[in-house]
Amino acid sequence: MNNQLAVRAEILKLAQLLRREPEALGYLEQIPAQDLRRLREQVTDLLFTAQGPALARLAAASKLLPIRVVATIGERAFGPMLAARIAGLLDPARAVEMADTMPIEFLADVAVELDPRRASDVISRISPERIAAVTGELLRRQEYVTMGRFVGHLSDPSVKAALGALDDVALLRVAFVLESKESLDHLIGLLPASRRESIVDVAAREQMWTEVLDLLSHLGPVRRNEFTQVGALDRKGVLEAIFKAAVENELWEELLPLVPELPVEGQERLAQAAAKLGPTERQAIMERMRAARMTEQVERFEQIVSAKPA
Amino acid sequence: MAKDGFKALAAELRDTPPPSLAALDDDQLKDLLGAVRDARHRQAAELRAAGEKALSHIPRLLRGPVRKMVG
Repeated sequence: MNNQLAVRAEILKLAQLLRREPEALGYLEQIPAQDLRRLREQVTDLLFTAQGPALARLAAASKLLPIRVVATIGERAFGPMLAARIAGLLDPARAVEMADTMPIEFLADVAVELDPRRASDVISRISPERIAAVTGELLRRQEYVTMGRFVGHLSDPSVKAALGALDDVALLRVAFVLESKESLDHLIGLLPASRRESIVDVAAREQMWTEVLDLLSHLGPVRRNEFTQVGALDRKGVLEAIFKAAVENELWEELLPLVPELPVEGQERLAQAAAKLGPTERQAIMERMRAARMTEQVERFEQIVSAKPA
Repeated sequence: MAKDGFKALAAELRDTPPPSLAALDDDQLKDLLGAVRDARHRQAAELRAAGEKALSHIPRLLRGPVRKMVG
């Protein structure tokens, strides 16, 4: 992910944690993404340890009570935030039993507040059916950041169940803010082939090329190639729209490695789109790529502009 | 002044924030500090309120031992 996109995704995540509107934290756009992630981890650690001893005592006391009573207290007295803080301190087997008795809406509330790293054992034991139901509820609330934080902690059957509950727009949004971007290649591999086509279709309809380019830039060559060969890219205006998104958002780092993998006809279409840029704009783009030491990509870009695809 | 804001944020986080945050101006650091502080206060208030509410859901016989453990 280039820095601009990564920063945008990090601000979304931090805003959710602090319960602020992302726009209110716009001043953080000048901070590198890895530093925003570190700050978010520091805030998470602060919140999860601030009342640590009191929470640990509550978790210990819960062992005296039947699971159903603890689940009722969790839902009616503690509420989602405290339930989320305590979840990782409970015995995982008991915590899963409790989760099984709780309404899906409450589990979705807890998911929003939970740090999955601290309750990974619990999350991985929840059944795929419950995961799919909670995913459906989070989708209804458009909680993409929350879903993105959980994916890396789910078993494959649960990921498949969750993916089945997501439409393509949501899938692209979750992928964009995914905490574990390195797992994207595996995650996309779990999708049926038909969804690659429908993802491109939906991106064309909803103008979600930034999300698609970000997704593609995190895939290995095999999965990426599966995308670049889908028929939906052949449709009139699709590659041109992708090129436009790359120009507007400076996504050359994402777009250029895809070029050689496109069919020759697709490369020609991109070359024509690139040739329409003004000389100043073309020069600026190439300078940025040279600054980023994208020597190979500069060569490819020049080939595109001179309408000589690689 | 921005240095003070950075120090205040470090004290709130109980950790040194990433150095790049020192580039924020004073108002921005103040806003960030306020957001972190609000989040912590909100959580502490919810924990306090939940304590007594929880007891009403516990069978009377177990309230004593639970109170003792929670402190």
